[in-house]
Amino acid sequence: MRRTTALIGAGTAAAILITGCSTGEGTDLGGTSGGLVAAIAGEPDQLDPHMTTSYFSFQVLENVYDTLVEPDENLEMQPALAQSWDLSEDQLTWTFNLRDGVTFHDGSEFTADDVLYSYNRIIDGELSNAWRLSAIEDIVAVDPHTVEITVSQPSPNLLSNLGGFKGLAIVQQANVDSGDITTHPIGTGPFALDDYTSGDSITLTANENHWAGAPEIPSVTFRFISEGSTAIAALKGGEIDWTDSIPTQQVEGLAGDSEVLTLGQTPSNDYWYLALNQNREPWSDVRVRQAIAYAIDRDAIVQATSYGTATANQLAIPVQSVWYSEYDTYSTDLGRAQDLLDEAGVDDLTLDLMVSSDYPETVTAAQIIADNLEPLGITVEIRSPDFATWLDEQNTGEFDMLMMGWLGNIDPDDFYYAQHHSDGASNAQGYANAEVDGLLDEARTETDADTRKELYGELATIIADEASYIYLYNPSVIQAWNPDLDYEVRGDRAVRFRDVSFGK
Amino acid sequence: MSAFLRNSTVRFLARRLAYSAIVLAGVMVVVFSLVHLVPGDPIRIALGTRYTPEAYDALLVASGLDRPLWEQFFSYIGSAVTGDLGVSFRNGSPVTVNLLDRLPATASLAIVGLIVALLISVPAGIWSALHEGRVSDAIVRVSSQFGVSVPDFWMGMLMITLFSSVLGWLPSSGYVPLTEDPLLWLRHVTLPAVTVGIVAGAIMTRYIRAAVLEVVDAGYVRTARSKGLAPAVITFRHIVRNALIPVLTIAGIQLATILGGVIVVEVVFAWPGIGRLVFDAVAARDYPLIQGAVLLIAALFLLINLIVDVLYAVVDPRIRLS
Repeated sequence: MRRTTALIGAGTAAAILITGCSTGEGTDLGGTSGGLVAAIAGEPDQLDPHMTTSYFSFQVLENVYDTLVEPDENLEMQPALAQSWDLSEDQLTWTFNLRDGVTFHDGSEFTADDVLYSYNRIIDGELSNAWRLSAIEDIVAVDPHTVEITVSQPSPNLLSNLGGFKGLAIVQQANVDSGDITTHPIGTGPFALDDYTSGDSITLTANENHWAGAPEIPSVTFRFISEGSTAIAALKGGEIDWTDSIPTQQVEGLAGDSEVLTLGQTPSNDYWYLALNQNREPWSDVRVRQAIAYAIDRDAIVQATSYGTATANQLAIPVQSVWYSEYDTYSTDLGRAQDLLDEAGVDDLTLDLMVSSDYPETVTAAQIIADNLEPLGITVEIRSPDFATWLDEQNTGEFDMLMMGWLGNIDPDDFYYAQHHSDGASNAQGYANAEVDGLLDEARTETDADTRKELYGELATIIADEASYIYLYNPSVIQAWNPDLDYEVRGDRAVRFRDVSFGK
Repeated sequence: MSAFLRNSTVRFLARRLAYSAIVLAGVMVVVFSLVHLVPGDPIRIALGTRYTPEAYDALLVASGLDRPLWEQFFSYIGSAVTGDLGVSFRNGSPVTVNLLDRLPATASLAIVGLIVALLISVPAGIWSALHEGRVSDAIVRVSSQFGVSVPDFWMGMLMITLFSSVLGWLPSSGYVPLTEDPLLWLRHVTLPAVTVGIVAGAIMTRYIRAAVLEVVDAGYVRTARSKGLAPAVITFRHIVRNALIPVLTIAGIQLATILGGVIVVEVVFAWPGIGRLVFDAVAARDYPLIQGAVLLIAALFLLINLIVDVLYAVVDPRIRLS
């Protein structure tokens, strides 16, 4: 038995060796000195801002790239690579004055040609964000620091389309041509990509020459920690400084941990909705749609999908937005719902509800909705295909009702036009109302902000009254960070580290 | 027959090698068919929301799915043999590079995990068998049952809570390459390896106990005892060596399993191993990457099986002759 004892002894010695050098306090467990370590919930699929659709990619790219303009914390558009802009009298020509002396991370100069290249790449390649540039007729470089954009009709939402998120980032042609952009993107942003360890982390270093001033922190390391409990343990243990890999069921418990972490929570601009197929009987009848709107229990759906962290909303735009308008017509009222169905003269309905297994909250909500509609004699048959199939069936109209969300909108036009205009590109439910069409067209080109807001309030009310969409809720952006870090959560989910610093 | 072929060990190895090659060829056929067997259009599914007719055509040509089936098959096999497994649907990077990037982390976890498992199971299994029916045997049997039954997710969280959150001895997650900093590497690999090792060790303990029990009453052991040999000599030379065969088998399977990816443990400890790569590839329906990973895992399994077979022959001359 002596040899066995020796083996156990060796094991113990190894344990002392690896743990022995740690005192359990003040030990840096792998963090970069002075740098910030952020844990995101997954690995980017690729780092080309024009090609990726992954939020994990955009969390990193937010800090690597710039856009012509960018949203501030109130989601109003501010100068970025363009330091100012002018709009012609007829509202059809936008002239952007670019910043002087901006360089890409490899030292090459940023000019109007880079803007042209980036936008043309999106438009000509019909990339996924091409629709944001659909109003553009022509882009011209007047001189190396001036870009002129001609639009086909007045477009007050052009700025939010150009700068709403980093999917419209200004990229470098050489970087694209070499193919390096998918793993080693070169931008003009506050941080430059330094190192990428597959499956583990991406490290960025501060760009001392950034036009907004050098960032206060020398580096940012994004680690990929998909298991929320691990990320929380790492944050509490000081291994990381920031995370959004947080299971919603733990949010309530974390609120009590303010000594070791700061929890930030704000309603996002994303929204989830139901849409009934108005090309099919009996859902073409507005009363039947309203009956469904009265039957569903929003609070129960919010509780089940997000542990109560989301905010129920009967319109699309969240409460903190400047474009928010109040609306609370619907309440869970089965009597009212039954009356509406009786008026419409229908009973014993079967409803094909299409949700997607790629978005688990839709599957969860579908169970509750089925339960909510049962007392009305409506049999709900739930289908949950993958998202690609879901899109196909949406586009071919193979559904009675569907549930999905819209993410990352800023301008009110993004929230309503494509979805509810009778010619809208995303109007799969087949809503057509001449009055709403008129209001949408008018609001799209109205330049006075107050009038515009009134128009959107008016048309949103009609849309909800006629249940083109039955709006459900705005999910929250939930993030937690080291209490020493001065950081604020943004409703547009952008994760910006250029202004943050330690040791307040 | 030449003297070379009459050498039984060489013949034994040649047979095993040929067998492995046949299995690998079979795996290749299955892996190739994967893309054609899944319901729906793989290109349409891979593109998802990025779908445009142009993107579709581009990916169709790039992936070679527009060519005749037989041409695709031979081109796939030909490329695979030379180490070219195609490019990932997601970002156009070579699949081989994607896989090789993850191999060091996976190998670290597998090897340290197996060492932990052996450190647990060899002493525990032998001790338990030699003390059959006593209290210490019961303790080993109950603990190994516990180790086998406990979910590795729960075990991982327990490790993190205890050694990282409460005691602050070890980092909760992440990976540092051995070549970069050996000490940091060891500190990071310890918790995931112990988690993997406890589960694998519990399984192996039961096998070792059973194997030792089988030989402990064998005639030659009784003979050795009656000759008056020292108990340690009997235990190690007569009992353990004869009990080694099943242990080798199970250790090989455990090693191959960990190498093939222990997804849950890798997710819990944010470990950049093969398992998470496969998991992400499946979620993104990145068929070339899934195919490459399956092929790599199959090849690793066969390689380890081959090594185990060779070790059989070394340990037990009877196998060479059969």
